Amino acid sequence: MMLPYFENLIQGIEERLATDKSGIVARKRLTLETARLGKRLYSGEERITWSGLVAPYDLLAAMGIVPCFVEFIGGMLASMGSIDPMLEQADQMGYATDCCTYHRAVTGAVHQGLLPEPDFLIATSAVCSGGMAVIEGLARHFDKDLFVIHVPHEKNERAVAYLADQFRALTDFVTEHTGEALDPDRLRMAVDNTNRARAAMIETYRWARQVPSPARSRDLINFGIVMALFLGTEGGAEVAEAYRDEFARKAGENIAGVPGEQLRLLWLQNRIQFKNPLVEMLEQEYQTAVVAEELNDIAWDPIDPEDPYPGFARRALSFSLVGSTAHRAQSIQRLAKDYQVDGAINPCHWGCRQGTGARGLMGEALRGAGVPTLNLEVDCVDPRNFAEGQLRTRLQAFVEMLLDHKAAAGGP
Amino acid sequence: MFYLGVDVGSLSCDAVLVDEQGQMVDWAVIPTGARNVESIAKVQRQILAKSGIPLQQVGATIATGYGRDRVEGRLASVTEITCHGRGIQAALAGTEVLVDIGGQDSKAMLLDGKGRVLDFAMNDKCAAGTGRFLEAMARTLEIELAQLGHLDKDAHGDLTLSSMCTVFAESEVVSLIAEGAAVPEIVRGLHRAIANRTRTLIKRVAPNLSGLAVAMSGGVARNPGVVRTLGQVLDCEISVPKEPDTIGALGAALIARDRSVKR
Repeated sequence: MMLPYFENLIQGIEERLATDKSGIVARKRLTLETARLGKRLYSGEERITWSGLVAPYDLLAAMGIVPCFVEFIGGMLASMGSIDPMLEQADQMGYATDCCTYHRAVTGAVHQGLLPEPDFLIATSAVCSGGMAVIEGLARHFDKDLFVIHVPHEKNERAVAYLADQFRALTDFVTEHTGEALDPDRLRMAVDNTNRARAAMIETYRWARQVPSPARSRDLINFGIVMALFLGTEGGAEVAEAYRDEFARKAGENIAGVPGEQLRLLWLQNRIQFKNPLVEMLEQEYQTAVVAEELNDIAWDPIDPEDPYPGFARRALSFSLVGSTAHRAQSIQRLAKDYQVDGAINPCHWGCRQGTGARGLMGEALRGAGVPTLNLEVDCVDPRNFAEGQLRTRLQAFVEMLLDHKAAAGGP
Repeated sequence: MFYLGVDVGSLSCDAVLVDEQGQMVDWAVIPTGARNVESIAKVQRQILAKSGIPLQQVGATIATGYGRDRVEGRLASVTEITCHGRGIQAALAGTEVLVDIGGQDSKAMLLDGKGRVLDFAMNDKCAAGTGRFLEAMARTLEIELAQLGHLDKDAHGDLTLSSMCTVFAESEVVSLIAEGAAVPEIVRGLHRAIANRTRTLIKRVAPNLSGLAVAMSGGVARNPGVVRTLGQVLDCEISVPKEPDTIGALGAALIARDRSVKR
């Protein structure tokens, strides 16, 4: 089921790219690269690993491993509209229906034989313990070795050294399982690709911050989180550069992603992964654009190709969902300021302890920065729990309130 | 010229007409029923007939409520949040915290005292504690909905209902009846459950109510037992406008007038 799906997807996008005359191709390039990753995962011809979110993907790329974090499967199945049977499978196995659906989806998928067998697995203790439990379950299911990375809560040089040592140990673990030592030249090349992608992404975000923003709300959905999988690859760097060039051109020609942009929003944590009309409704009825997304943020420095392990560690620790809520609060306050947003949306994905547990603190942090925040209660993956009318009313009321504030302050 | 507000809720369909000065001319409330398009037409016909104002003199209509997009000929749809904020300002000037409990949802709003919404919170996931919930409980207790609000006046017990899921609460009420609990005590327990749930919602937008003017709108505000109990759990006075279920439609009518004047 999956391999033909990805092959058809690749063919379809390549055909569209070949005949495109609009010049708006960056999103298609990202989808193409994602489909190629899917094909590699399901081809049965490559070494693959299932992993946690903050694994060093560029290191794995340099070692010839095709990596994928488990939450990707939930998001992908939801966007394909094929998630219901996987969730029902997990429900029938006894998983509580208020467990995270990203994790229930991957659990259901593996038991339906829809997840390719990995060569080994890599769990990361951050960003969530649920994800770690899922990977442990997968390791048991496939009877494969599991490497666990303990991501420190603190952010200091000791934490960097501790995490960097674990990434070095991961290199040995991979070598033991592949029989191939890490080639220093391939690692250097991978790090160069990572730095290229990083620079292009930062430039893309710089353009997205412009008022009006060249970004349409859907341009940057899942961008940073999916790009993490392509770090270290030539393809990943090219996708990031396609975004940079497209945004630069649009910004240069003063083309707004949302014509007549009235409001700018920051989206926290997860986007809704299945097809839904809410973001388009905000754009078309209220000229409101989602210009910033928490999980797209890059708060790490270029990585030293000659000594990359500390850089890999700093990158993992910089992720907003790793470490204290104070760190996360600072990250989202910075984003709100940089992107000059009028408000923020926190979907509070059902079953996510980070999302729901920190809801009050994040709201407080944003309020402190003068940014009104709308808390939703959404299952970002399971369309069966989607109450469109209720969400529509909350979003509309929120933008009505923001527009009213703006008008009172002499805004557009 | 006159301006019309139509609030299409899950339980009732409300209409309010205001004149050019923003004064309420008339109002009408009918049950929404299963076919809301017919109810919308009916309530519009009813208010025009009642007020004696011909349709040609209605300058603009604003629709609100969950069925707002079904109102034909509207100038625009505006959410219940914005309309209630605007409406309560006209009905009870200076309101700073408004709680609205309708047929299937409840909302708490922090207002600037001039009808502008500063923050809001709504119930999520289920409709427990709303008008539908009270309807179901009245049915289970085999009493009229209108009786609920007065029955607990002399009850003093501390009977609690552990669940606020409508279906489970219904089973709990059945069990309490079987155990011989007095109906006024059960009703008091129901009102306390709603009040506690509503307090949580209000505290999300206004953690400290001290010195703030608090009001309640929506059909459930017609239940004096809920209003009284909510006042007790919040330790504050709660004002209720004269026709609490028309506040959304009143706000819609005033927004219709404001926008027409601006145009």
